[in-house]
Amino acid sequence: MKRISLSVLGGAVGILFFLPLLWVVTNSLRPGSETFANLSPLSWQTFLELRPTLTNYSALLNSPIGRATLNSILVSAATVVIGLAVCATAAFGLAAFQFRGRGLVFGIVVLSFLVPFDAIAIPLSTMFRDWQLTNTFAGLVLPGIGNGMAIFLLRQFFLGIPAELVEAGRLDGLGWFGVFRWIYLPLSKPALIGAGLMLFLFQWQAYVWPLLIGTDANHILGPVALSNLQGQNFTDYGLVFAGAVVLTVIPLVVIAGFQRYFVQSVSSTGLK
Amino acid sequence: MRQRQGLIALAFLAPALVCLAVLRIVPAISAVVESFYTESLLRGGRVFAGLGNYTDLLSNKDFRQSVGVTLLFTVLVNPIQVAVSFLLAVLFTQRAAGAKLWRTLVILPIATPPAVSAVIWSVIYRPDGLANGVLERLGLPAQPFLTSPSQVLPSLIVLLSWIGVGYWMLFLIAGIQEVPEEVREAALLDGAGPWRRMISVVLPLVRRPLAFVLVADTVSNLLVFAPVQILTKGGPNGNSNLLMYDVYSRAYAIGDIHVAQAEVVILVALTLAIVAAQFRLLRGDQ
Repeated sequence: MKRISLSVLGGAVGILFFLPLLWVVTNSLRPGSETFANLSPLSWQTFLELRPTLTNYSALLNSPIGRATLNSILVSAATVVIGLAVCATAAFGLAAFQFRGRGLVFGIVVLSFLVPFDAIAIPLSTMFRDWQLTNTFAGLVLPGIGNGMAIFLLRQFFLGIPAELVEAGRLDGLGWFGVFRWIYLPLSKPALIGAGLMLFLFQWQAYVWPLLIGTDANHILGPVALSNLQGQNFTDYGLVFAGAVVLTVIPLVVIAGFQRYFVQSVSSTGLK
Repeated sequence: MRQRQGLIALAFLAPALVCLAVLRIVPAISAVVESFYTESLLRGGRVFAGLGNYTDLLSNKDFRQSVGVTLLFTVLVNPIQVAVSFLLAVLFTQRAAGAKLWRTLVILPIATPPAVSAVIWSVIYRPDGLANGVLERLGLPAQPFLTSPSQVLPSLIVLLSWIGVGYWMLFLIAGIQEVPEEVREAALLDGAGPWRRMISVVLPLVRRPLAFVLVADTVSNLLVFAPVQILTKGGPNGNSNLLMYDVYSRAYAIGDIHVAQAEVVILVALTLAIVAAQFRLLRGDQ
């Protein structure tokens, strides 16, 4: 009895959270002119479409959102690849060596993630303007690649790699980069995926920075383009909702694909 | 030997250190420095202004209102989100049919970028939108939501909780699952009721993740920007003009970059002060 009431309660909460998204998906499958047609009175048709059409999605391809979504993918992918290279080498430097000033360097890493990025986005954007980085992909990618939290996460993992392995590798004639490349990286797949997800989500979800630095048609990112569309007077909500679905499904697929690592990286940042 | 190691380590660290220094630390310092200068119309270029930008801000009515709105928002949103996340974490760690599925539905909005969520809720909150459709179904009168000075903050809190609660819940679920099954069962055998069990057994054991969630949630809520910029532009009458949006409009709409830098400094200082205070408090009653 108690279990049944717990399931019912859980189900009610789950559905409550899900309804807005279901409504968005449903309306992305019907013409924009019908978005507000099924709301008064509310009925099951509000949340279900029996004759779905994909016209909004095909219209998306030729709208600014299509290009913006591609830009988002490009910027996020570049951030993950470059960011992982930068953060993993740094974490290796912190984990594998004893040297004077290590505490200081670690302090800088921690300090860098205590100062929230969005808060310093405005002073940073003034600097980027002086350096002519507005409306460039470099300008969009750069702030994402040095992620103190990712370095911290990778360092914690690297510390668990036994010193004997490193010694054996050194005796076999591996240089330090070889130790990093052939011993540390292959053993650290979960941490690398966790850090990669962190870098990806930071970039995919960004709004303040792309709004400040990349708003021309060739560099605008998905969320900024979508909010521009919403602000217009005659908005096609079918298109808006299709864009919202695409911008949600892409990270959802990535998170779902790496679900195990996502939860792991989430819980390790919270507990340490 | 050690010195050599240091050089090699530095080579590995160099790219990241350059990034962190240039992209995080230098702009923070530059905000502090610039906040002491002002643009001179007479001489051209900038001149030292001492605390002038700060006194300008403090005597500015809009800024003072923005601080008030931000503090009110902070005091409301954080306890609500932490409490709801904790209750949901407890609910979804009970053994019950479908718990995994329901939990997933709560977590789903994590994937939606905040700006996209704001766009979605701007349609939900329209006078003819989904929210009023639901109210009508329940036999309740339609509400103005974003255009009402008293409803605008609660409306933003609902939207932000929809985005955030599932995410914070994940940390607490991880924390609860660290509590050994025997401890939870022992409490059950003791005849402790579910409420008592939650308060006296689970709550103390998830202190660490709970503290983390409170601090991280507070920081992220101090930086809320997209929903304000997309839904309300700070209105009506400045009632949703959170500090982060005030900084942005001061820098770009009003165009006073030096005063905006001073406001960035105040915002970061406020963030660090609140975080420090929370750490203090949470450590104090251990």
